[in-house]
Order: sequence, then structure tokens, then C-alpha cells
Amino acid sequence: MTETAQIVAQSLIEVEDLNLWYAEKQALKNISMQIPKKSVTALIGPSGCGKSTFIRCLNRMNDLIKNCKIEGKVLLNGKNIYEPDVDVVDLRKQVGMVFQKPNPFPMSIYDNIAYGPRIQGVKKKDLEGIVETALRSAALWTETSDRLKSPALSLSGGQQQRLCIARTMAVKPEIILFDEPCSALDPISTSRIEELIMNLKKDYTIVIVTHNMQQAARISDYTGFFLMGELIEFGKTGQIFENPVEKSTEDYITGRFG
Amino acid sequence: MVRERYLMQLCLFKDSLLSLGEQAELIFSDSMDAVINLDVELATRILAMEPKIDEIEEEIEASVIELLALQQPMASDLRLVVSGLKITADLRRIIGLSINIAKIPGKIEGEHVKPLIDTKKMADITADMLRNSLKAFEIDDPKLARMAASRDEEVDKLFYSVWVELLEMMVKDSSIISKATHLLFLIRYLERIADHCCNICESVVYLTTAERVKLN
Repeated sequence: MTETAQIVAQSLIEVEDLNLWYAEKQALKNISMQIPKKSVTALIGPSGCGKSTFIRCLNRMNDLIKNCKIEGKVLLNGKNIYEPDVDVVDLRKQVGMVFQKPNPFPMSIYDNIAYGPRIQGVKKKDLEGIVETALRSAALWTETSDRLKSPALSLSGGQQQRLCIARTMAVKPEIILFDEPCSALDPISTSRIEELIMNLKKDYTIVIVTHNMQQAARISDYTGFFLMGELIEFGKTGQIFENPVEKSTEDYITGRFG
Repeated sequence: MVRERYLMQLCLFKDSLLSLGEQAELIFSDSMDAVINLDVELATRILAMEPKIDEIEEEIEASVIELLALQQPMASDLRLVVSGLKITADLRRIIGLSINIAKIPGKIEGEHVKPLIDTKKMADITADMLRNSLKAFEIDDPKLARMAASRDEEVDKLFYSVWVELLEMMVKDSSIISKATHLLFLIRYLERIADHCCNICESVVYLTTAERVKLN
């Protein structure tokens, strides 16, 4: 089997001919991509290239934007998430998202994690276990186990971001989308998040948008390079950073433009 | 253009390798002249160049470390830096072996035990391999690199034929063993230099195509 065929066989998300317009402006052009299961896929490209717009298509976050028109398919486990019968709330449970700036709810650490499961109707007696598991998975348990009732906003930026990751995991998604999760963090907190992401791929499929190419190189298995709304190149991270096929990929990752 | 300083550093890095390459060509060619003509004076001048070469090598290594640590080169830039480091090591070995050759005239009294005809041929082919491997590096030409490396076979054949010839001569006349042994070393050095040229060619192929190949 060729490498591309293998990717298709193990892919969890398949994007077919995705086009997106913000009013008259086309922001994504004919994107087709297979995102492999239980791996980290990084999306890189200069500002305005469409990578964040693209990642937001994977859990229909762009639905919230006025005048946004989307064509094409995003198949999750074979089902197009843009079909009219898809429940968007369910979808976002399945496809969690972590944003650039940590955005904990203004409540306790415990309640931040318990919020989603509570809405889903999880019983109170089961919540403690879920909170502990999520905090452990997010490598935050040892730092917070003795102050679960403290306000989440009292945590440091890096801890808040890990809390947001824990909050996402508490509702047991299959996929976690990260939209520049480290751009507001210091290098040590960044390393913690990177380590965490690499550990999470055992259980989750991860897609990360990053401006930091070294970060993409360090943590991802696959990399996609976007430019002016197009997916220029997609492949194994080692290949992209050692020997990209496309000249514009080479120019971008070597800093010739961008 | 962004990262102008960085691009300038990469250019300077390549230039410094090419200038080390020129030194290697020069030292090799002078060493061969010295050994063929048993010119001790020329040989002494060559030996005096070694400390300068060590300095250049250290400078190149320092620039590799600086580029990796401060600029994190990627893709073809990364391949240039990695290949460049390997090419530096090969050039340094070529210079080292040439210096070994330059030590021979001081050890041989009188004339050579035989005219150095095939040995000269070996040296000419090796010089050609070195020139072309460096040219291939300069102009990013993997085809030229492969062509240059393909001549290694000729060098190997000549090596074995001279080797056998010298052994036979030594069997016939044991009084020449000392002088003939120096010639055995000489052809061994030439054969090794040609191998290092092949390594340089392999690095050029990797640099230009990202393909890892064995060319000897």
C-alpha cells in the first residue's frame, strides 16, 4: 500500500473539496485532506492563509460567523458533519477545541471540568472520578488536587491552558483541535503542553494550528502547509521539514517569506 | 526578503566550505608534486600549513553549531548544514592524507624504486574526482556528483595493480622493501582520498535531492 493510501485507510476525518467564503472573499479553496487517527496533525502557514478557518470547519465553529458559506464535505467516521441532521452540540462534544488564549470559566477548577459532564447529565457521584481523570490526563492533578475549589482564574496561564485541555477531555471527545494553544504561554508552559499533546495522541486524534514551525516539527506526525486558502502540501512531518516537495513550502519553512 | 542575515550566514558557510575545498585541492596537488619529484622543500612548506587548516575547520564547525542553535535551519538549509559538516570532515581527512603523502619525500633517500606512472594516473583521477565533487557542491549538481564518484572504480583497479606490482618487486629484491613500503602507503592514501571524494559526492546528492545514497 502506498503511504497516501495508508493514511486514507487509517483516517478519522476526511475532508473533500472544502470551499469557504466570508461574504465575497473565498478563504478556503478546494481543500481535500485525510487526517489520520490517533496522531498529531499540524497545520502551518502564514497569517491569513486559512489554517484557523480550516480547523474551525472541523467542528463547525464557522457556523457562528455571519455571511460564511461552506461547500464540500467533512467526513467524520464516514459521516458528513455538514448534513442537516447533524446535531452541532453533539458534534462539538465529539470534536473538542482548545483556543489560543486560555479561557477558563469564572468558576472553580473543579466546576470548570465538571461543567460539560454535568450538562450531559452525568451523576454527581461520578463527577469526582471524571474530574480527577481529566486533570491527571492534562498533567495538572498534582498541582491542583489540594485546591480544586479555588477559582480557575487563580491558576497561571500555562495551568489555565492545561485546565482547558482537561475540560475538553472531560466530555470524552474523539478529536481535539488546538488553535495556537501555546502562543500566549512562556517556553516552560509551552513545553508542558507539547509534552501533553504528544501523550494525548495515544487516545485522541489531534489537529493543531501553530505559528511556531519548530513546534510543528517537534510534536506532529503529519504537517499540512496552507497558503492563501489552499492546502499546498500535506505529508509526514519529517518529510515536510527535511525535503518538502513544493517550492512555496520550502520557502516558508526556511523563512524565505512569511 | 526576510531573514537576510541568516541567508547571508548560509552563503558565507557555503563559501567557507568551498575555500576549504580549494585548500584541499592545492595541498593534494602540491603533495603529489612533492612525492613524485621527491621535493623535500615543497613538502616542508605543505606540512607547515596544517595548523591553519585546523583553524579553518574549527571556524566551520563553530558556524554549524551557531546556525543550528540560533537559526534552526529547515529543509534544504538543514541539508546544507548537515552535508556541510560532513563535507568538512571529509575535506579535513583529504588534507590529512595529503599531508601524510607530503611526509614521504623526507623518508626516501635517492630515487623511487620505480617510475610512478600508474600512481600518477591514480592521483590524476583522484584530483579530478575532488575537483568535480567540489564543483557539484558549488553548483548543486547531483548528476556531476554521481559522475565524479563513478571514477572510484578506476582508482581501485589501479590501486590493486600497483599493489601487486610492488609486492612482486619486494619479493624479488628485499633491499627495496623500505622504499617500496612508502609507495604502498602512498597508493593507500590515494585510494582513501578517492573514497572521501565519494563521500563528498554522497553528501551533494543528499543536499540536492534528500536521497541518501552509497556511491562507493
